[in-house]
Amino acid sequence: MATHSESHAEHPHFHAPSHWEWSTAPTLIVLGIFFSIPLAFAGHFVYHNSLMTSVFAGLGVPVLLWGISQWVSEGINSPESHHHGLSKVGLPIFIVSEVWIFIGLFSAYWALRLMAAQWPPDGTPHIGTNLPIIMTILLVSSSATIHVAEEKLEEGDVGGMKTWLILTLLLGTVFLGCTLTEYSKLIGEGFVPSTNAYSTAFFSITGFHASHVLVGLVTFLCVLIPALSGKTNKTFLACASVYWHFVDIVWFFVVSQIYFW
Amino acid sequence: MKEWIFTTDHKRVGISYLVGSMAAFAVAGTMALLIRMEQFNPGPGITDNPHTYNTWLYFHGAAMILAFLIPGLTGFAANYFLPLMIGAPDVAFPRVNSFSVMLFWLAIVLALLNFVIPDPADIMWTGYPPYSVMTEGNTAWYVFVVHMMGFSSILGAINFLTTVIYMRAPGMGWNQLNVFVWGTVTAFVMQLIFIPALAAAVTLLLFDKYLGTHFFDPAAGGDVLLYQNIFWFYSHPAVYVILLPALGILFEIVATMSKNPVFNYKACIYGGFWGTTLLAGEVWIHHLYVSGMPDWLRIGMMVSTILISIPVGLMTISLWGTLYRGAITFNTGMMYASGALFFLLLGGLTGIPNAMTVVDLHIGETSFVHSHFHYVMAMLATFALIGGVYYWFPKMTGKYANEGIGKLGFWLNFIGVNVTMFPLMLIGPLGMPRRYYDYPMVPELAPMHHLATYGSLIVLLGMAITLINWITSAIAGEKAPLNPWGSKSLEWTHTDSPPGPGNFKGGTPVITEDWTPYNYGK
Repeated sequence: MATHSESHAEHPHFHAPSHWEWSTAPTLIVLGIFFSIPLAFAGHFVYHNSLMTSVFAGLGVPVLLWGISQWVSEGINSPESHHHGLSKVGLPIFIVSEVWIFIGLFSAYWALRLMAAQWPPDGTPHIGTNLPIIMTILLVSSSATIHVAEEKLEEGDVGGMKTWLILTLLLGTVFLGCTLTEYSKLIGEGFVPSTNAYSTAFFSITGFHASHVLVGLVTFLCVLIPALSGKTNKTFLACASVYWHFVDIVWFFVVSQIYFW
Repeated sequence: MKEWIFTTDHKRVGISYLVGSMAAFAVAGTMALLIRMEQFNPGPGITDNPHTYNTWLYFHGAAMILAFLIPGLTGFAANYFLPLMIGAPDVAFPRVNSFSVMLFWLAIVLALLNFVIPDPADIMWTGYPPYSVMTEGNTAWYVFVVHMMGFSSILGAINFLTTVIYMRAPGMGWNQLNVFVWGTVTAFVMQLIFIPALAAAVTLLLFDKYLGTHFFDPAAGGDVLLYQNIFWFYSHPAVYVILLPALGILFEIVATMSKNPVFNYKACIYGGFWGTTLLAGEVWIHHLYVSGMPDWLRIGMMVSTILISIPVGLMTISLWGTLYRGAITFNTGMMYASGALFFLLLGGLTGIPNAMTVVDLHIGETSFVHSHFHYVMAMLATFALIGGVYYWFPKMTGKYANEGIGKLGFWLNFIGVNVTMFPLMLIGPLGMPRRYYDYPMVPELAPMHHLATYGSLIVLLGMAITLINWITSAIAGEKAPLNPWGSKSLEWTHTDSPPGPGNFKGGTPVITEDWTPYNYGK
C-alpha cells in the first residue's frame, strides 16, 4: 500500500474543474473526419459521383483543419496546472494499439505469402531495393533530428528546436516523395493493387505506413506553427517524437518483409 | 446547451453515451421485432424480399453490439462511475473523451443512413467475404461504422487505463478498487489489443471491394478464411468486452444490496477478470469449427475454450458467494441483477456443448447458438445495464426511480426474453438453422416461432415501460437521499447527487489502508 501512496505524492494536484467545461474542437475534428473520409470515400468509390465527393471533401477538410488548430491552440494556451505529462503515458498505450493493427496487416501478408505456390506471383515486375535503402536512411536520420529538436527545447533553445523540427519535416516529406515516385513507376509498369497477391500486400502495407508518416508530419506542423509565435509545449513535442520513432521502427519491418524477403 | 453537447465532463459524456446507446437499442430492437415477425410462419411474411430481411439482420447485430452494448457499458457506465469510484476529478484526457463520444454519435448517424441509401449494407455484423465483397450492398458503410466505433473505443481505452493507473485517490491500492473498475480495465485492455485486428480485417474488406486487392479472393492468391480468422480474433474477445463490465455492474449491485463484501475478491479479480482477459485471444477458432480448420487447431482451441470455464466459474462463485447470508434488498436494480445471474447460469452452461467440436459441428449453425449467445451476452449484459441504471439512478438524478413500475417492467422483460429465446434453444437441435430468411424444411417448428414472436412483443412492452419510467422519474421522481442504498463505495459516500464539476467538493478523498468499497459490517 505504501508504494501507491508514494506514487501519488508525485502527482498530488489534478486539475479539478470548478464549472462545466466544454470544447468544440473534438466535435469539429470528428465532423471533419466524418465528411472527408466515410462520406467522401462513398461518394467516389461507391456512388462514383464526383460532385458528391468534392462537396463532402470540400466541407470536411476545412472543418478538420479548423478543429485541429483549435485543439492545438486550446492545449498550448491552457494553464500549466492542467498538464501532468499524462500524455506521455497515453501515447504509448495508443502505440500498443497501432502495433496490433500492423500485426494484423503483416499476418494477412504472411498468410498469403506462405500459402502461395510461387513467390513473387506472376505479373510482378522487378522492384528495386536502392530506393528503400535511401528511404530508410531518410527516416532514421529524421528520428535523429527530431531527437535533437527535443533536446534543444529541453535546453530552452526554441530557435534551435524550430531549425531541427523543420529539418525533420523536410526529411519526412522527401520520404513521402520517394513513396510517390516508386508508386508511379510501378503503376506505370502495370503493377497496381489488383495485379496479384503481392501487389495487394505491397500497396496496402506501404500505403498504410505512408499514411502514418503523413500523420506524423501533420503532428510536427502542429508543433511548429505555434512555435513560430513562441508557444511551445515539451510534452506535446515529446509525444510527437515518440510517435515518429514508432513510425520509423515499423518501417524496418516494412522494408525487411516487403522489399528484402 | 453547449455545455451538454460539447461537454468534456466525464459525467455528461456518460449521459450522452447513455442516450445514444438507448436510441441505438430502440432501433436495433425494432429490427429484432421485424425479424421475429418475418419468422412467425414459414414462407414470406412481412416482406417477400430476403435482401430486406438481411439488412434487418445486419442492423440488429451490428447496432446491438457496436452501438448499444459496448458503448452502454464501457461508454456510459465507465464514464459516469469509474472516475467517481476511484476518487478522480475527471478522466485523464477530458477532450479525448469528448472526441470518443462524438465519434460514437456520428457512427450512429452513419449506421442510420443505411435506411436511407439505395443500397443498404446486408452483410450481418460479421461481414464475411466473399458475400460482403460481391454484394450490391454498401459494404463501405459497415466498414466505416466499425472504424469510427473502434477508434472511439481505442481512445476510451487510452483514457481509462491512464486514469486508473495515475488518478486513483491518494492511498488507493489495487486491491481496494471496485470490481466494476476492474471489469472496465480488463475490457479496455482487450479493446486496445483486439480492436485493431477488427479494423485491419474490415479495412482489407474495403480494399478488396473498392480498390481491387485480393486479400480474400482465392482465385488471385488470397484466402477467404483469412477474414474469419482476423475478424474473430477481435470479435470473440468482444464478447468479454461486454461480459466483464456487465459482471462488474452485477458485483456493485449484489454487494450493496446484500450488504456483504465481495466474496473471494482476489481470486475473482486476478483469476476471473484477468484470467478471462488472458484466454480471450486464444479461443477464436471455435467460431470456425464449421468453416473448416486443421484438427490440431480445432482441438487446441477447444481446450482453451473449455478452460474459459475456470475464470468465468471464479467470477460466478464470487457473485453467489457475495449473496450468501446477505441481508438482501430486492429492489428493481437487484431484481435485474438476479435475472442476469440466471442468464449467466443458463447461457454459461449452454456454452459448454458449443465448445465441444464434435457437438458444435452439428448445432453450431442452428438457433441453439443464437439462443446461447443471446442468453450469455445480449440478455445478461442488457439486464446488468438496466439494473445499473436503476441502481445508480438516485446518483445520476438525485431522485428515486419508481419501484412499482420498475418491477412491472422487470417481470415483463424477464418473462418476455425467456419466452423468446428458450423456444429457439429447443428448436435448434431439431433442425432450425440460424440467420435464414425462411424455413420450408422444418415447417413443423412454426408453433415455437409463434411463441418466440409473442415473447418479443412482451419485451417491447417491458422496455417501453422501463424507458418511460426513467424519463418520468428523472423529471418528477421522489427525492432520494445521497446514499439511499447504504453503499460504502466512493461514488455514494463522497459525492453529491448528481455530482457537480470536479466531483468531490471537499477535495479528493484520502484512502486509508483498511478501507474497501465493500467493507460492510465493519
